Amino acid sequence: MELKAIYECVLTGERDQIEGVIQRALSAGCRPADIINNALIRGMDEVGRKMKEGDMFVPEVLMAANTMKIGLQAVKPLMEGEETEAPGKIAIGTVSGDLHDIGKNLVVMMLEGAGFKVIDLGVDVSKDRFLQVIEEEKPDLIGLSALLTTTMKTMGETVQAIGGKVKTMIGGAPVTEDFADEIGASGYAPDAVTAVDLAKSLIF
Amino acid sequence: MWNRCSRSNESDHVSVQCKVLSDGQCARLYNAVLEVLERTGCEIFCPEAVELLKKAGCWTDGLRVRIPSHLVERAIGAAPSRVVLADRNGKRRLFLEGNNTYFGPGPTNPYFFDLQTGERRKVLKSDVYDVARLVEVLPNMDFAMSLACISDCTSGLADVHEVHAMLQNTTKPIVTWGYNAANMATIISMCETVAGSPEALQKNPFVVVYAEPTTPLRHSKEAVEILLYMSEKGLPQLYTPGVQGCATAPASMAGVLVVAAADNLAGLVINQLKREGAPYIAGGVTTNMDMKTMIHCYGSSPEFSLMHAALTDFLHYLQLPTWSTAGCADSKILDEQTAIEYTFSLHSAALSGANLVHDSGFLETGLSGSLEALVMADEIIGMSRNIVKGVRIDEESLAVDIIDKVGPGGNFLTEEHTFKNFKKEFWIPRDINRDIYRQWSDKGKTTYGDRLRARAKQMLQESVPKKLSDDVLQKLQVLVDEAEAAKV
Ligand code: B12
Repeated sequence: MELKAIYECVLTGERDQIEGVIQRALSAGCRPADIINNALIRGMDEVGRKMKEGDMFVPEVLMAANTMKIGLQAVKPLMEGEETEAPGKIAIGTVSGDLHDIGKNLVVMMLEGAGFKVIDLGVDVSKDRFLQVIEEEKPDLIGLSALLTTTMKTMGETVQAIGGKVKTMIGGAPVTEDFADEIGASGYAPDAVTAVDLAKSLIF
Repeated sequence: MWNRCSRSNESDHVSVQCKVLSDGQCARLYNAVLEVLERTGCEIFCPEAVELLKKAGCWTDGLRVRIPSHLVERAIGAAPSRVVLADRNGKRRLFLEGNNTYFGPGPTNPYFFDLQTGERRKVLKSDVYDVARLVEVLPNMDFAMSLACISDCTSGLADVHEVHAMLQNTTKPIVTWGYNAANMATIISMCETVAGSPEALQKNPFVVVYAEPTTPLRHSKEAVEILLYMSEKGLPQLYTPGVQGCATAPASMAGVLVVAAADNLAGLVINQLKREGAPYIAGGVTTNMDMKTMIHCYGSSPEFSLMHAALTDFLHYLQLPTWSTAGCADSKILDEQTAIEYTFSLHSAALSGANLVHDSGFLETGLSGSLEALVMADEIIGMSRNIVKGVRIDEESLAVDIIDKVGPGGNFLTEEHTFKNFKKEFWIPRDINRDIYRQWSDKGKTTYGDRLRARAKQMLQESVPKKLSDDVLQKLQVLVDEAEAAKV
């Protein structure tokens, strides 16, 4: 009952309501882990499904993601000692020489919405910066975006430099599955929604 | 080949035009733009430009520059209200003034539809030869763009090679893009070589250069350096923000216009500070992001056409020459959807009276180009121009004497008046089909797409490039070789 209300809240993006609804669930005795796994994350899974079916629009999805984030923040402090699925950590950036970031930003938002911890490195990210982040942050996955023929070349070099250190996923309008194979990236996704599925499959 | 009515309004009062914004609305929009530039300002990643702006009286904080309104007003006043483009031989052809509208292809698509095989593949330098040769003979294509970001050349030199290809295959004015100011210098040297001297090119320019701010409110080093370079050269510059409502601008058409104009006018201020009176063509690509697929919409968005027309009104109000977008589609192939997208966008642009309208021949949101689509755009523009030219009302066209002579129940087919006027008054299709059923079926029941492909092939075969002299060709090759050598 209470879990259902939280799930609904995420689905409709009621970010002003979510904390109240979670408080009620906690008072009614719901376990924090249940709230996260069976209400918040399940809500976002449904949002992702609806988006793919074309039943939900991007701003609605982002509002839902925001709602889930607020919900997570409310429950997390109560989680000490309890087991939760560790969310993956992803560092993502647009490669060196490329300033296109609209698509990359959407991927960041969708990944965050799905519960990943995302480090957004911005645009014009050099090979060395990627390597440094891998060293310092130990991400589970690196995401690279490129929209130019010239920077796809740079993308190839960057993926090569990362080598086997960590898995890589790539995207951007002119990027293709074949290109991903060619440069040895672990995966390619054509859009931000598919990027979430890809990240899940690469990390878990 | 040149269309005899490529000026859309042969006389203003008879031309069919539309206005989206009233002068009052333009004034409000202008104030909003001035407020954004003064209050929020923008980030400019080129130290030379920041220094120029600071000296002129802008408030600066690192890269952040806030531009006081009077500087914007001064720049608008200083820029010429008209720019004239010549052809490769220096003959003045396109008068970017008033509501004259001229059309051409788009730039930088990574893919191309192979005319022979129908396959969508990477775009090549040879495709640019074909585009330029086709533009040369299409009566409603008034300027050339490459319809390519070619893949078969040294990385980072596609812009240079594309101009090299265009210069050899068309005499029409060229609008082109560039990665950076260094490449731009090569491109301009090539054009100066063809013109005969830097001064000859400046007096009768046949090239316009295209750079883009990183909307919203950001100006990359590369783009601003091109602005400064062109300004110094006194050659026509285009600065075109790509603005997506819901993504890089607010979810309102007015909001998109404010961001587009703010980014464009910031460019104008820099350009005019560098050299007052430098020719500048204002405008941008105004669209919205599709909220299901996240694509940058081109022709399938009615607001795309409406906002372009509104921006044109606004820039007319500021008395600046304008740049607009049409003849492009979100459809992946040349199909019924493409025809709808092309027609709405091209006709809206013609009605708006934008001066330079680019992107004919685009498919797939600008990711691919097609020669047969370019031929289709040309025919649509022909139809559109014959609407925009309006109805001629004068003694001869009213033809009261002829009506009296023929009288009730007669016909006009054999009249001298008909013989003299039928071609002038009524549009004649090229590949749009008006056959009766039997003729059409006897000729193989072709679709419009079939005929466009055949036409494109035929036109390419018949288009013989007007050769540049061996001396010029050799100098162009040297410039390309130097650019190649500098890359390694
Ligand atoms: C908007 C735009 C710009 C804006 C970018 C603003 C910004 N903040 O990003 C500006 C005006 C700055 C710009 C500049 C240039 N651009 Co541009 N640009 C575009 C345009 C029109 C739309 C891109 C876009 O935002 N699409 C919407 C987003 C949501 O889609 P997306 O980026 O493809 O992202 C989706 C997927 O690809 C995927 N994805 C993206 N990243 C990632 C990453 C991962 C890990 C994964 C899994 C998935 C993924 O998910 C996203 C969401 O679904 C495209 C044309 C086009 N239709 O793509 C040209 C385009 C990409 N640009 C092009 C060019 C040439 C340039 C310039 C060189 C032009 C110039 N000289 O002025 C400069 C280069 C600047 C630079 N150094 O980067 C060419 C590229 C040709 C080529 N193959 O090289 C294109 C194709 C132009 C065209 N013909 O229309 N551009």
